[in-house]
Amino acid sequence: MERKYLYLDYLTCIGCETCETVCDFIHGGNPHIRIYVTENKQYLPINCKHCDDAPCLRVCPTNAIYRDEDGAVRIAENRCIGCLACLQVCPYGVPFYSLKVKAITKCDMCAERREEGLEPACAEMCPAEAIQYGPLEMVLELVNERRAKNIPEHRREITKEELRKSVSSGYVLL
Amino acid sequence: MKGMKFSFLCKKKPQPTGKRVAIVGAGPAGLTAAGYLVCKGHNVDIYDKMPEPGGLMLFVIPEFRIPVERVRLGAKELEEEFEVTYYPRTKVMEGERLDEGDEFYERVVGLDELRENYDAVLIATGIWNVRRIGIPGDDLEGILSPLELLFWIKGHELGYVPGEKVPDLKGKKVGIIGAGLTAVDTAFECSRLGADVEIFYRRTIREAPAGAYEINILRNRGVKWFELVTPKRVIGENGRVKAIELLRTRLGKPDETGRRRPIPIEGSEFQVPVDYLVFAIGMVSTPPVNGEYLATDNRGRIVVDGRHMTSVEGIFAAGDVVNGPTKVGRAIKDGLYAAVSIDEWLRGEL
Ligand SMILES: Cc1cc2nc3c(=O)[nH]c(=O)nc-3n(C[C@H](O)[C@H](O)[C@H](O)COP(=O)(O)OP(=O)(O)OC[C@H]3O[C@@H](n4cnc5c(N)ncnc54)[C@H](O)[C@@H]3O)c2cc1C
Ligand code: SF4
Ligand code: SF4
Repeated sequence: MERKYLYLDYLTCIGCETCETVCDFIHGGNPHIRIYVTENKQYLPINCKHCDDAPCLRVCPTNAIYRDEDGAVRIAENRCIGCLACLQVCPYGVPFYSLKVKAITKCDMCAERREEGLEPACAEMCPAEAIQYGPLEMVLELVNERRAKNIPEHRREITKEELRKSVSSGYVLL
Repeated sequence: MKGMKFSFLCKKKPQPTGKRVAIVGAGPAGLTAAGYLVCKGHNVDIYDKMPEPGGLMLFVIPEFRIPVERVRLGAKELEEEFEVTYYPRTKVMEGERLDEGDEFYERVVGLDELRENYDAVLIATGIWNVRRIGIPGDDLEGILSPLELLFWIKGHELGYVPGEKVPDLKGKKVGIIGAGLTAVDTAFECSRLGADVEIFYRRTIREAPAGAYEINILRNRGVKWFELVTPKRVIGENGRVKAIELLRTRLGKPDETGRRRPIPIEGSEFQVPVDYLVFAIGMVSTPPVNGEYLATDNRGRIVVDGRHMTSVEGIFAAGDVVNGPTKVGRAIKDGLYAAVSIDEWLRGEL
């Protein structure tokens, strides 16, 4: 299957908390996308970037982290020994040890929903259209289309390469 | 572009339950509750006083933040895929009250009538009144309500308001009092229309609810930011605004919100000339009742229990009308959990 990307564009995000809300709702109160607020009140939702060359996946000693057919970086809970090596190397501090599950839990790009033919809930509900989901070229096109509607002060000149790198490797553009 | 998928919990309409739910208010709380309820097989009708669904997301929040099309397509999907029926331009009310945006409705339906005709009712009517400041001169011509101003601007773009209604702000001096999301969006829109905008705030940028990030973007656009001042009176000439008289403030001990309280400094009065003034100092809940029909608190918010049910059996409430001004995400959360309760209640499990 074609690799899918889940991209959150911080330049069009309005910090409304909808993504965290719906993620929280479908995960029984444990959202996998969390909003952090900076000192100057910029709202930054942080979720797993499902990096192309994911350091967590490379470092895991038991191979508990794998990539599924849509490209989501996933945890095989039965193989996780809770060593937190993945948390050490993730640039965003995404992996989270759940005492309930007794393993690392994190965003799985809404694996259950994808099985039912639905898409990640945050992308479906974000009112600002700041979260895009789909194949690389489609995501790039949608992000550019959305950015063009923004006001100049919220826009930043970025090269095609920069955006491509951001979408595929998780490198954040602010 | 795709629409917001309010029915994000299911792929298609399930077996109908035969139960009918009326939702009053098609903002994010109402639409998301509708999405949940149709996924549970209930039949949903939505009443709203505006010409189309979307609430503040569609009629107030600027396009660069939330694209109109994103909201429109989302509302349309509920109608086309899940047989939700919209009753636009319909104000629901027990008793009478003038609210912002009332010029758009064409008929009135009683809340009690809905209660009788449906198995459950959800109120999600938001905060559609603007807090008044109560200083001398605050009723002069040239004083604009932030909501009204934003309705005209966005309503004109959407084709509901004739161009003559939108004040010609080019080169005009607009003073805005307040530093919340409403103040910031009003400043953005006025500056976009060519006005010379100045924001007056009684605390500092650090306490501003809209945050330094947004305010600094405005400042880069040329909007002036004036902190530690509070309005004392509005000065007019021939019934029209001419200037605002302000007092300087200093910050005292933290108040109940945890922010330091602004204390006016006596004798520090000074005046700033303005052509228009906007008081964006807060908004008030607008339940579809005025009187005793259901319980509200001293700030006009609807009182609900742990099930999101109001004091009237079978009538639920969610969103800003219950919580006061919040954000889209909070309204959505409240709408979702209220819908969970409604579904359980309809199935006799609550
Ligand atoms: C200027 C401004 C800017 C904002 N910017 C942001 C932002 O950037 N990010 C963010 O997250 N939040 C923002 N908010 C807050 C956000 O818009 C609200 O929290 C959210 O819309 C509340 O949702 P709701 O569904 O409770 O109510 P609303 O969106 O207000 O919807 C209520 C609906 O009820 C209808 N209605 C009201 N009374 C009646 C009646 N008697 N009969 C029938 N229908 C009725 C209205 O027409 C409306 O459609 C902003 C608010 C304002 C005012
Ligand atoms: S839902 Fe969209 S706009 Fe709202 S906080 Fe999340 S990413 Fe930002
Ligand atoms: S964001 Fe962190 S957890 Fe997600 S794939 Fe990249 S390194 Fe792994």
